[in-house]
Amino acid sequence: MNNIWGSMSQYEIINWPWPIAVYLFLAGISAGAIIIALLVKWNKHDNEVPTIWDAMVKAGAIISPLTIVVGLLLLIGDLGKPLSFYLLLINYNFSSVMTLGVLALFVYTPFAFIFAGLIFEDKIKNSFLSFLYPIIGYIKSYSRYSKNIEYILFFLAIVVGAYTGFLLSANMSIPMWNSPVLPILFLASGISAGIAGNILVGLLFFKSSINKESIKYLLMLDLRVILVEIPLLLILFVGMIYTGGASKISAMQALTIGNWAMIFWVGVIAFGLLTPLLIAFTALKNHAYKVRFIIINSLVVIVGVILLRFYVVYAGQLFTGV
Amino acid sequence: MKKKYRMIHDENLCIGCQACSVACRSENKVPDDLFRLQVRVKTEGVFPDLRMDMKRHSCVMCEDTPCVTVCPTGASFKTEDGLVQVDPKLCVSCKYCIVACPYEARFINPVTKNADKCTFCYSNRVSKGQDPACVTVCPTDALVFGDINDTTSEVYKKAKESTLVYPKAHLGTKPKLAFVPNKKGVSYE
Ligand code: SF4
Ligand code: SF4
Repeated sequence: MNNIWGSMSQYEIINWPWPIAVYLFLAGISAGAIIIALLVKWNKHDNEVPTIWDAMVKAGAIISPLTIVVGLLLLIGDLGKPLSFYLLLINYNFSSVMTLGVLALFVYTPFAFIFAGLIFEDKIKNSFLSFLYPIIGYIKSYSRYSKNIEYILFFLAIVVGAYTGFLLSANMSIPMWNSPVLPILFLASGISAGIAGNILVGLLFFKSSINKESIKYLLMLDLRVILVEIPLLLILFVGMIYTGGASKISAMQALTIGNWAMIFWVGVIAFGLLTPLLIAFTALKNHAYKVRFIIINSLVVIVGVILLRFYVVYAGQLFTGV
Repeated sequence: MKKKYRMIHDENLCIGCQACSVACRSENKVPDDLFRLQVRVKTEGVFPDLRMDMKRHSCVMCEDTPCVTVCPTGASFKTEDGLVQVDPKLCVSCKYCIVACPYEARFINPVTKNADKCTFCYSNRVSKGQDPACVTVCPTDALVFGDINDTTSEVYKKAKESTLVYPKAHLGTKPKLAFVPNKKGVSYE
């Protein structure tokens, strides 16, 4: 293109590319996994060890610190000046959602590790990781605070899960992001991914037994979050359309144009939300409580949640309605 | 008294020659193919009822600054007299300000790796009492700049005699760059 005013390419760059989308997913699943693990831990009956419930607590304790660390590395790697990331830790701007997020993560991440250390205390002691024992010993010294650690972690997880939505919604320049629904939607879908992740990791690595009752419960749990997500997505787009102007154009473009519209309708809606719904309804109705269903269910949920993050990050930046 | 800098772009006087953009490039060492400032020429209407609009595209120096609000390190900041600048020592290049700016005014400078944008030539010219480079070179005096508190200034006179319009005024960002809308050519009002 040869405009007399020069190249337009700087305006077409996706400023927040895939590492941000993946980070948003990882932070979401990290928060969701720990929220669910704690809820299960607080509710479970002690005589049920070692059922799926116990495995889900362990899975959450593993998933949460690992995903958040990978996510943070991606985030730092995506900075134009990765080595200057420490500036984020010594300079604060309390009106910036990013600063608030950095502070939350700064506390959340070590707490997630402490929690994992407390859950796997014995395992680590007797394994190849025993060289870590001094650290574990240190973590163990906190064990009498374990209940408090759990409460703090639960609260921080909610903050981390929701802040990723606020991070985007603080941008008035991008209609799809600039919505109060986004933090709730991201928290809900993060929890949904957390349930799925805990189930998968729990089944695969902690050899838990599951019975009809727990399958039913897990499917119902998933179902409830999905039944929250669908109306939230609806509100997001209806809100954009009612705002009119650029917002409306942006919503129409994002829902109808090209690959991103496809990803939304096929990936997020049909695959990520309707398939689990279908599985839940048919399986529950026919009393066909098979582990297979649970696994397929968890996989599609996770893929759906990843695609939702990609869709919001990319379609938001591409279709700004101007 | 603190200065209240304003810039006015009179679209009736502008001829779209891009001298401002070139001056900006050489004054501020803007890398090739990147722009702090463009004047986009937009043809409106159907032949033969045409109108050519000249639209300046740059940072508009918001009073209520989305870019400063979101910047996590304080690298994006406002000077005492309200001009928005980037501190290269604090910028981590997270691009938050770029996505937050409703005017698409910012970009990452590949040489410095910092967020970059029009500065109204604050540090290199305005703080020394000169006009921004774009204002100095404009052959038709379509650009006027100065302290609007000063009733003898050009910008004060220009503001008094024209109807000023602010870009994307509905956003409530209160830009310090105003324009005088084009009245030449066919009217579509
Ligand atoms: S136009 Fe953009 S870069 Fe300039 S002050 Fe406003 S928000 Fe900041
Ligand atoms: S890119 Fe630099 S100036 Fe912009 S928000 Fe990030 S740290 Fe601040």
